[in-house]
Amino acid sequence: MMMQRNTESERYRRQIAVVGEEGQEALGKARIVIAGVGGLGSAIALYCAAAGVGYIRLIDCDTVEVSNLNRQILYRTEDIGKEKMTAAAANLCTLNPGIEVEPVQAKITAENVESLLDGSDLVLDGMDNFPVRYLLAHAAWNHKIPFIHGAVSGMYGQVTTIIPGVTPCLRCMVPFPPPSGATPIIGVTTGIIGSIQAAEAIKYLTGRGVLYTGRMLLWDGLRGDASVITIEQDPACHECGKAATNE
Amino acid sequence: MNEKSALMNATQDRITITVKSFATFREVMDTQLTLDIPEGSTIRTLLAELTGRYGGLGKLMFAAPDTLRDFVNILKNGRNIHFLCGLDTALNDGDVIALFPPVAGG
Repeated sequence: MMMQRNTESERYRRQIAVVGEEGQEALGKARIVIAGVGGLGSAIALYCAAAGVGYIRLIDCDTVEVSNLNRQILYRTEDIGKEKMTAAAANLCTLNPGIEVEPVQAKITAENVESLLDGSDLVLDGMDNFPVRYLLAHAAWNHKIPFIHGAVSGMYGQVTTIIPGVTPCLRCMVPFPPPSGATPIIGVTTGIIGSIQAAEAIKYLTGRGVLYTGRMLLWDGLRGDASVITIEQDPACHECGKAATNE
Repeated sequence: MNEKSALMNATQDRITITVKSFATFREVMDTQLTLDIPEGSTIRTLLAELTGRYGGLGKLMFAAPDTLRDFVNILKNGRNIHFLCGLDTALNDGDVIALFPPVAGG
């Protein structure tokens, strides 16, 4: 037991210098949901697991395909054809056996979204479409669970952190869904944006730093540029504005 | 004052607007520019100026003449024009307009 504790403290020694003993303890007690374990979700899951986030629920409904492997770095060539959740859980447990990973092989729907988020401290967005993001963000808002949004296309990406009752909601940030379809994606973009989402999670869970709350990071890899824009609440928003308060 | 008379009255009362573009809009226009436009201008006036200046921008932004693609976010000082007066949103000296098409992939 002592040896395990020593191994654990050695595992996190370099980052305890960043987050502190209390921060590391907070990470160990945290329960997070990663919704969608593709390009973004791979980076989020790997960095949260490596950092020692104690309980990670992964949700995805797909199987691993060869075309995923340019960006979904949680999977290996031998995983092709396997359920993503089986492969993801095995990989994360190899990375960090000291955490608990709950793989949920499921499609997120209006019917199951509430139960999928049940008991979580934080939801991380690894989805590839806005209709499901809106479902997740809505359920998270209703249950007062912060939601860390990320999305990518090509060498562009965006991140914002939504705190229910404090920041504008996802509908205020992105009122209408961008067109769906096969988005051009390269692994470096999902890696960078997913890593920033993981950093937001670690900052939130350890109470450190300044989050992208009420602000959206817009990353432009082509031009080597990152901008942060402030986005205000829609006063008439039915989710978070006066319209919601009056209902 | 309607748009035409606002434009004709251009020499006197003018306002300075900063425009910032993001993501795919940057492929057809500058990342940031400052424009002097007539006082009384609206987002519609501004977009007419921009689409005239940058070929290809109109197709990215508009589904039909005078109808923005709904996912195009135009922020006036951080407030989405969807929540203001849409294309008729008035512009004031010093306003910062952000044009960004959100991305969706993951």
